[in-house]
Amino acid sequence: MRINILLLCACLAVNAASPVDSIVPDGKPIVSDAIFARRVYLDIWGLLPTPEQLADFTESKDPQKRERLVDALLANKSNYAEHWMTFWNDHLRNDEGVVYHGDRKYITKWLRTALESNLPYDRFVRTLISPTAKDDPDGFIIGVNWRGTVNASELPPMQAAQNTAQIFLGVNLKCNSCHDSFISKWKLKDAYGLASFFSDKPMDIVRCDVHTGELSSPKYLFNNEPLIDPGAPLADRRTALARMITEKDQDRLARTYVNRIWKRLMGRGIVEPVDNLDAKPWNAELLASLADEFKASGFDMKALLKRVMTSRAYQLPAVEPTANYVFAGPLARRLSGEQFSDNVAAITGQWRLKQTGIRAEYVREWQVKSTSLTRALGRPIRDQVTTDRQDAATTLQALELVNGTVLADQLHLGSQRMLGVLQPPAVNIYDSGIVGASKPVSAEFDIAGAGKLWLLMEDFDSYDRTRVKARWGGMVLSGPNGEEKIADQWETIPSERVLDLKGRGFTKLKAVLSCDEASKASDINARVRYFAFKSQPDKRQLVKVTGEPPMAQSWSGLNADMLVERLYLYTLSRKPTTKEARIAKSIAIKNGKASADGLEDLMWSLFLSPEFQYVH
Amino acid sequence: MSTNRREFLKKASAATLSALAAGNARSVLAAEKLEATADTVILLWMAGGMAQTETFDPKRYEPFATGMDPNRVLSTFPSIPTSVENIRLSQGLEELAKVMDKATLVRTYQAGDLGHILHSRHQFHWHTGYAPPLSVAAPHMGSVIAKTLGPKNPDMPAFIDVGQNLEIGAESDSLKAFHTAGFLGTEHGPFFIADPSEAARAVRPPAHISKERFLRRYEQYKELLAAGSQYQQESLKRAIDNAHRLLSSNAAKAFDLSLESKETISKYDTGRFGLGCLLARRLTEAGARFIEVTSEYIPFRYWDSHENGHERAKIMKETIDRPVSQLIRELDERGLLKRTLIVLASEFGRDMMTEGKPEKPVQDQVKVPDRLTEMKHYGMHRHFTEAGSVLLVGGGMKRGYLYGTTADERPCKVVDKPVRIEDLHATIYRAMGIPANQGYLIESRPFYVTKDGKGKPITDVFV
Repeated sequence: MRINILLLCACLAVNAASPVDSIVPDGKPIVSDAIFARRVYLDIWGLLPTPEQLADFTESKDPQKRERLVDALLANKSNYAEHWMTFWNDHLRNDEGVVYHGDRKYITKWLRTALESNLPYDRFVRTLISPTAKDDPDGFIIGVNWRGTVNASELPPMQAAQNTAQIFLGVNLKCNSCHDSFISKWKLKDAYGLASFFSDKPMDIVRCDVHTGELSSPKYLFNNEPLIDPGAPLADRRTALARMITEKDQDRLARTYVNRIWKRLMGRGIVEPVDNLDAKPWNAELLASLADEFKASGFDMKALLKRVMTSRAYQLPAVEPTANYVFAGPLARRLSGEQFSDNVAAITGQWRLKQTGIRAEYVREWQVKSTSLTRALGRPIRDQVTTDRQDAATTLQALELVNGTVLADQLHLGSQRMLGVLQPPAVNIYDSGIVGASKPVSAEFDIAGAGKLWLLMEDFDSYDRTRVKARWGGMVLSGPNGEEKIADQWETIPSERVLDLKGRGFTKLKAVLSCDEASKASDINARVRYFAFKSQPDKRQLVKVTGEPPMAQSWSGLNADMLVERLYLYTLSRKPTTKEARIAKSIAIKNGKASADGLEDLMWSLFLSPEFQYVH
Repeated sequence: MSTNRREFLKKASAATLSALAAGNARSVLAAEKLEATADTVILLWMAGGMAQTETFDPKRYEPFATGMDPNRVLSTFPSIPTSVENIRLSQGLEELAKVMDKATLVRTYQAGDLGHILHSRHQFHWHTGYAPPLSVAAPHMGSVIAKTLGPKNPDMPAFIDVGQNLEIGAESDSLKAFHTAGFLGTEHGPFFIADPSEAARAVRPPAHISKERFLRRYEQYKELLAAGSQYQQESLKRAIDNAHRLLSSNAAKAFDLSLESKETISKYDTGRFGLGCLLARRLTEAGARFIEVTSEYIPFRYWDSHENGHERAKIMKETIDRPVSQLIRELDERGLLKRTLIVLASEFGRDMMTEGKPEKPVQDQVKVPDRLTEMKHYGMHRHFTEAGSVLLVGGGMKRGYLYGTTADERPCKVVDKPVRIEDLHATIYRAMGIPANQGYLIESRPFYVTKDGKGKPITDVFV
């Protein structure tokens, strides 16, 4: 008996020592299995649980099932990385495909590998600040640059210093990149001191556009000792800084990061704003203990997610924000633009397409350029570090949702796809890729079995499409029964020409694809793409798509009532109430069958509902 | 109007509350209160660098002759008189010449020295007052005005951007970088109308959805919402309601150019830019706050002439002359010009010889031959940041007024009254009642609507 009491005390002691658990008193109700599942799927994969995944979880009798679900989701490297890329792209200003005329480098490949392999956070940061190996990313320290002269406060070493301080240390150096800060203790020399770790030579200290005549030398923000000889090679200086931050100043590094993750999962940081770690935390012990656990885990990013997600704090019902913040549960968080787009795609099967050369594949939103819809929903332009997306609902967003073409097309085609009535687009038998005016392309391809040929010329971002003249030139059809030349002429683009082969057994087509001399002009800059089809092409999808979509779709074999129910289970992770079911069916079902228009309208209502748009 | 205004303020404060809750508070810095002379700005954007010597600041005309020395060429058109005695314009702007008595012409705008000519970067600088890269996301001038003053008519998006296709190939991302509200938040961003002739589509249901179905869908949505969870309903539903209100309001009709007579349309219709001017007039009448109509930036097109500059200038003048003058005239006739400020501007001027500034030339982008052998060499093919022209009409500006002089001989420098971007912005903001040192807090530090809050309005141009 005595021993039992001791054991009990020991348990309590452990609890008391870990505020992550003790901030929520015993007995406070936590959310249902369904809501928990919805949260962790959205927070780890960025995707909603399918009705089947949801049922597996809610029906499981395993007492450890919440923890096991988090483990299982984290174990799926690809889905985890596909979601967290967005978080890191925001923080590291990484945006594949964004080109300014000036230096900028993507780190997408490295970043994705780092997430998939769960690279420990200290190494993650070290590699960004001090890339040494061949595959290490230097995009972070290169920064965002536009051709031309740049203000001293935005030189690449200064950008690297600002971003290192902001993202990894929770220090805002932006004021004092130009002058001593009016709002913090940081001085102009502090910014230059940090920037000097990234500069290949001593930097002229410039105060508000005026040269002070002083030269900077490397100095770390929280340490006045010289870490490295100012004359040391650049690589050594970066290494010295990386070691300082990730070895000697681990505590700050850890606290800054755990606070960001707490905010990501709970809607508000323990310290706010998250970019100023020196502000007062609402619970200093909580912050310290999470940071200690994070360090002790070897900076295991996934372990940290699991630690927070399996806490009672995370499992409390979502609350609305109040003026004087007191932790009472996670705040409801709006889906990001990427999450919105991906989940509509997962449900409708209408994924975005990423083109590489003449191939295309279905991808999640982050992999391709933003649309007017995702920009309206907050997908940022990554010229600056974004550590906090705004999630207010706005009229401009609503206009995109209500009558923008991006969502309208996705739902229009998606509802047909879900009902199995969407004609799959014809697959091309030839795709030239982009042909410029100065480089004609010889084409030769198999046309065996074609009754008719559709020959298309499409514009691909010419500067002046209206003045482009292009042709399928010198066409020759050939086969066992001989060959035939086809007359051609210059045509404006886009153009579609149908050749009737009249069953004459042609098996091959040869042509020279080119633009006329005038199309070479710099202000026309012709970029034409030639496609051939054996059947009527669908202009919306001319490029050949390969591979599987990010999530499989399964709507077949459902009667109309089941379809409506499954739609609720997928979008809202719950069944419709009796009343909702009645209204939903009246929208989606016409004469006992699900109608494509009705399904489209019902989905629109569900996707626009707050219950869908928030992680709650 | 006053009920509308109260209604709007109610909504705005709700939006502000939700922003506060989300930790996005951005307090307005105290600045003096100014009385506005204008309620609406129409920015007519001459994208790609409008040659001032071929438009609003003509110099000695030098006709083309094979073998001529390019240094002799200052203007490739003769000048014409206008309704204002001391103002001459370039031939091809005959209609604008007639309405110069309603306008202030600034000839001494000096574009920023950014070390290298990059259209999108100079356009970014013009539209935000700041040159990238920047450590905070600078808002477009239209967003600043939308944020500061709110919509004039609550049904109408405050900031409408007409005519720019954002997917133009290599420079797309650079354009997107400043066509944004930046840190002010997407709610203050531009409402895009890429093609004014299809503007009505932007406020109509998607093409495959009938009006009847569209309205039914909205009713069903509300019914479903009422039956379901009350969770987080208010803000999202309010946004959706606002969108529907715009779509079914009278304001939506402003987007429909087909409601104009054929005769009126023909007075504007020189293509997309001309129709954009007509749309701007309709949007102004319906209560838009900031409208930008662009001649559109696409590398090497429109004003961005790297060859055939003479011919191109002729075409571009045909594009702008009738619609801009018609816009001025109609707003004036309808009594709207008094409170509407029209600004016609470009990222920089052009010259035959100088790239950048005479004192600070930058890397040439166009090779000018020693002797002009072909017509295509004849024109202003270099990017000139020393001087450019800006037209300011209405909204408290003087009528028939000329501000600033440039030299009549190359390098045609600014002789007096130079105007920097922060001063031009301060002038526009001043007209709208916004002080140049108006600021917003971002990351606890102030961001001013003109650089460091130091823009100086050109007081001379105000009535």
